Amino acid sequence: MALLALSLNGPAKFFNWGFISVSIPNLIMIGCIFVLFILALVIPFPTHKEDGK
Amino acid sequence: MSTKERNVDLAKWSGPKRPYDLVKEFVIALVVVTVLVGALAALFSSPDDRAITLQQWGQNAPSDFVATATGELAGSTISAGYGAPYNTAAEGLNLGPLKIQKWAGVTIPVNPAEDFVLKPLKSSIDPAVPGAVATWNGASSDQQTKWASDYASAIEKAGDAASVTADAAYGPVPILTNALLHLAQEGSLDGLLTTQVTPLPSDFTMPMLFLADGAYFDDLGAKQHLHGDQWGMMNETGSYPGQSWLWMFSSLYQIEPFKSSENADAQIFFVLMLLNLGFIFMPKLPFINRLPRLIPFHRLIWRKYYKENNL
Repeated sequence: MALLALSLNGPAKFFNWGFISVSIPNLIMIGCIFVLFILALVIPFPTHKEDGK
Repeated sequence: MSTKERNVDLAKWSGPKRPYDLVKEFVIALVVVTVLVGALAALFSSPDDRAITLQQWGQNAPSDFVATATGELAGSTISAGYGAPYNTAAEGLNLGPLKIQKWAGVTIPVNPAEDFVLKPLKSSIDPAVPGAVATWNGASSDQQTKWASDYASAIEKAGDAASVTADAAYGPVPILTNALLHLAQEGSLDGLLTTQVTPLPSDFTMPMLFLADGAYFDDLGAKQHLHGDQWGMMNETGSYPGQSWLWMFSSLYQIEPFKSSENADAQIFFVLMLLNLGFIFMPKLPFINRLPRLIPFHRLIWRKYYKENNL
């Protein structure tokens, strides 16, 4: 299985802006978190045929 | 809280209700996360940086090893001046008058010169070592510090321990530190430092402290962006994503007054505890507790409810 895996053990690239320094893998994860957050806002809640009252 | 608001909290809900299956949601979330974790682990594996050993240090950076061992004898390393829990050399972290590190007490006593250098040398087969150790132990504390400090200065000046010519001014320090280097290079020192406290090599406090005193380990960390001033708390070895959710803790270490403070850990802990208290008491904080009225984000989340009820 290890032979099939993509190795991420090489050095990461970094995005630097002023005092901010974020690795590209971290930036991708943060981007994913934002996308999930927007999707959670936009995608409607599952609806039920009958509302219990 | 006004009487009106209190009554709203106490009144029985008479608006619309709907069934919600919490167990079903939990099971779906568990299955989705388990499948995701399994698939991503199979695809990307996990960080696989081998532990750095004292043998590697001795072989790859012998001069730094000798300089650090000399520093341990001189009492000038980070370990030697750390304070609790290892020694009483410094007060350590504090919050104003609260000496929090000192109060924790010395629970893991470490004497770097004795524990990292002299005790392991008892296993050396170098015939010059017993005499050098006897000379060291027979000297006064001031003399020991002078020998080690002079040798450390000579290494710094020469740029390489191997280039320093023998001199009586260094006393037995070159013999001691070079014999320790040989122990490290042959791999014995890793075992000797991990079996000082317990017979089983399960306590890595000693080798880790010694390793962290040198520049070799520090440089390896810097290359991987793992230093505190490199947002290291957020980073992982290699190209793996790290702990990005620690951005708030990590960001404070990048700015003044924390960046240059010797006491940054305690100060940042204090600031974050204040922020946590702010979260806990948010409903009681003036202005902050009115923010949902100014920024009605909740109306976006529950837009269907607000629309259906014309609110």
